[in-house]
Amino acid sequence: MRRKPLILGLWLALLAGCAVIAARTSYRTDMGDFLPRAGSPAQRLLVEQVNGGAAAHILLLSLSGAPAPVLAALSQSLAGRLRQQPEFLDVLNGGPGSFTGMQDYFWNNRYLLTAPDLSTAGLRNALRNDLAQLSSPLGLAVGQGLSADPTGAMQALLNGFSMPAPAMRDGVWMQPNGSAALLLVHTKAPGFNLDAQQRAQDAVRAAFAKALQAVPGAGGAMLQMSGPGVFAVQSRDTTRQDVSRLSALALLGAAALLLFAYRSPRMLLLGLLPILTGGLAATAAVSLAFGFVHGITLGFGVTLMGESLDYAVYLFTQAKQGEAPAAALARIWPTLRLGALTSMAGFCAMLFSSFIGFAQLGLFSIAGLAGAAATTRFVLPLLMPGHFFAVGAAPLARPIAMLQRHKRTGHAVLGLAALAAIAALALHRGGMWDSNLLDLSPIPAAQQRLDASLRAGLGLHGQRYFALIPAASVQQGLQRSQAVAPVLDALVAAGKLGGYSLPSAILPSAQTQRARQQALPDDATLRARFTQAAAGLPFNIQAFQPFFTAVAAARAAPLLTQASLPPALALQVSSLLNKAGRGWMVMAPLSGVRDPAAIAHALAAVGAQFTNLGQAATGLLQNFQAQAVTLAVAGSLAILLLLWLGLRAWRAVLAVAAPLAVAVLLTAALLTLGGAKLSIFMVAGFLLIIAIGSNYCLFFATTRPGTAEWPRAAAAIVLANFCTVAAYGLLSFSRIPVLHDIGRTVAIGTFLVLLCSALLSTRRSA
Amino acid sequence: MISGLSLRRRAVLLGLLALTAQAKPGWGLPQLMAALAATRSATASFTERDTSPVLSAPLISMGTLTYVAPGYLSKQTATPVSSLFTLRNGQVTLMEGGATRQFALDEDPRIAGLVEAIRGTLAGDLPALQRYYSLTLTGSAAAWRLRLVPRNPALAAFVQSVAIGGSQGQVTSIDTLSTDGAESRMSIRPARAHAP
Repeated sequence: MRRKPLILGLWLALLAGCAVIAARTSYRTDMGDFLPRAGSPAQRLLVEQVNGGAAAHILLLSLSGAPAPVLAALSQSLAGRLRQQPEFLDVLNGGPGSFTGMQDYFWNNRYLLTAPDLSTAGLRNALRNDLAQLSSPLGLAVGQGLSADPTGAMQALLNGFSMPAPAMRDGVWMQPNGSAALLLVHTKAPGFNLDAQQRAQDAVRAAFAKALQAVPGAGGAMLQMSGPGVFAVQSRDTTRQDVSRLSALALLGAAALLLFAYRSPRMLLLGLLPILTGGLAATAAVSLAFGFVHGITLGFGVTLMGESLDYAVYLFTQAKQGEAPAAALARIWPTLRLGALTSMAGFCAMLFSSFIGFAQLGLFSIAGLAGAAATTRFVLPLLMPGHFFAVGAAPLARPIAMLQRHKRTGHAVLGLAALAAIAALALHRGGMWDSNLLDLSPIPAAQQRLDASLRAGLGLHGQRYFALIPAASVQQGLQRSQAVAPVLDALVAAGKLGGYSLPSAILPSAQTQRARQQALPDDATLRARFTQAAAGLPFNIQAFQPFFTAVAAARAAPLLTQASLPPALALQVSSLLNKAGRGWMVMAPLSGVRDPAAIAHALAAVGAQFTNLGQAATGLLQNFQAQAVTLAVAGSLAILLLLWLGLRAWRAVLAVAAPLAVAVLLTAALLTLGGAKLSIFMVAGFLLIIAIGSNYCLFFATTRPGTAEWPRAAAAIVLANFCTVAAYGLLSFSRIPVLHDIGRTVAIGTFLVLLCSALLSTRRSA
Repeated sequence: MISGLSLRRRAVLLGLLALTAQAKPGWGLPQLMAALAATRSATASFTERDTSPVLSAPLISMGTLTYVAPGYLSKQTATPVSSLFTLRNGQVTLMEGGATRQFALDEDPRIAGLVEAIRGTLAGDLPALQRYYSLTLTGSAAAWRLRLVPRNPALAAFVQSVAIGGSQGQVTSIDTLSTDGAESRMSIRPARAHAP
């Protein structure tokens, strides 16, 4: 009796320790932290793009539901309001003011950003072109900038800089059919900073509400938002709603079942102790091993630990009438232990994955199950009232008894079903794997369609091709980027490449800026050359004073640094020039790639690397899938090995493994026939079916029908299964693909294991 | 006093012009646009006189204008510097001094406004003209004058007004006045015109 306080004291101390660790843990939600650490530069780039970069700051707005002129006025009103708020780096709507900051920067620094030919011959050439421009239909538009920029430096700068060019209507960007005005906003906060994103999005909604009142006739117009930040906030909200609502429902369902079986609220609460202890222990273990816990690990890991709810069910339900808790435990513990160890072995393979997320999930499940099993073994019998008997459980065994009376028919049906399933899977056409990266994302399809339509309207195409240029420092990155420009220019001239963006076009290296400054002629020389160049041409030299002033100013100007950039351009430079390990990496997007081989060859010659991000993404996904399959196979083998170690008889191993194999096969066939494509989440689901189902098989295999224990064991298995089906079945109603896929797979699969194990695992009657 | 007088005189003049315009009932903007739209393609030679604060003397240029309804327009300048401006389906190509530049018309409301004033008039495309300008028509079918004043603020910052003169379905002059005092006066002598 002195053991009881000791054990309870130890348990509480452990719980407290785990709680302290869990409370101090940093919880991360960046998808990048879930992906592999190693990988090709292109895959790292992909992860960077998922995590940060300019793309993560994008907020796409669509205003619709009113005539085009009204939408244009709304767009202007909204843009004007947003530009005054500190949450937004820049607000582009195509209207006046959209590119002001950018244009001012280019205009004010045009002689540091370009190297105009200011020789007499160069000036004469420029002036002759100016005459041609003056007499073109655009002469009036061109003429007004001529006095300050006769060499067309600004035009050259803008030509070399790609900006979104959506369709214009009524002075702002619109969908080509005029149905919606489009805005492209860069938020100060990156997409994964959820609270700041939420504030920015609220600010947009508030500004839109004010704009609605300010613009006459705008009453029925509506605002739609998209972008990484919107997705992040929405999926957090859906996750919260789904998880809180569905888990409440799942809990209610399971609780109702358990109450019916136990007829005791106290036992219901005691039954939660293993999973709670396990969850805390798992969080603490992952935190200690990895230094942080990923949000996905936490949400997803708890579903992987679902099995630990069953442990209490097995103990409480299998206790025979008048049997002491310790005696009941001693009887079922060997089977329960083997079941728990099998599941842990299954998850063990995940520990070795290069995907941090998988490794975390593996450790989480193992630690969680170990904690839950230990709690069931040591703590529950102490807290259980002596001679507890689950009164309501008896009828639950009846369907199993009935099933076993028709074993022969059952075997025939299972055999036919398995053959049909094999045929269905073998004859299935069109790929069983889901190869669309987007389907992995937790974003509803409707929101994805809106995003695609906004991006198409704004001309924002996903960048596939990049030139990667490694560098030791920012300045070297800018220099090397500058050195690659002529190579890319030659490719453009040869028609092999459409265009490119380099950070040096926005911010030349200090070295280049200094060289350009030194190449600019002094005022007297410039004036003399200009006069000579203009000889015989009808130009009023006095009118070009703004040009002379600008050149003189550029000669003495302080060099441009990252601090000189307006916010939108600073964001762009920071996404083109990234910190990579100890050094830096220029990631220059390439557009209109027509000859990848030639481009790769030309870039390699100057120490740059050509990369196809689409391939990298596909590669990453295939890697992800391959790993998931490997883990599932390795996990299954580990389970088989452990079963053999525990049972020491191939016949017994077969009795456990056969129903699991048939159930997984049938589940895969059912899901595929239902039109679903296999995702990595379903593979995780299969592993879970095996982990949970192996317990059913083990209990059926170790309990002989006809004995006094059998009805209690059958009832416990049915009760555990109904709770699992109720909980995971409810998860399948979630709008989040992960939860939906896992929920459906596990609910179907575990129910099939129940049927298969009742028919295939059961020993001959005593 | 003087400005008051000239204002009054201008008002009287405008009234007279309006009277003359009304004197011929049944002729107005819709009729003019219909007459202009009847020309499916035309080639004309032009003489243009540009003045600008950056020029010490007016720049006289000559060349050929070609129009094919509804969206093709080219302006080939032969002297003093050869250049070619082409508009094809909203896409502008500028070739001068061996360099070629290409851009979409709707990229910039200023460029779109300047080009649409010419193309829209030649095509008799009233909605296109009204998108950028408010229109005032004076004169008669035999000698009309269409004054375009920019409505778009970005365009108005550059262009003060465009005045187009013509007779029946033919355009004979396009005068553009910019806000910085630069002015372009183009007179057009039809070489060939083809009605449908």
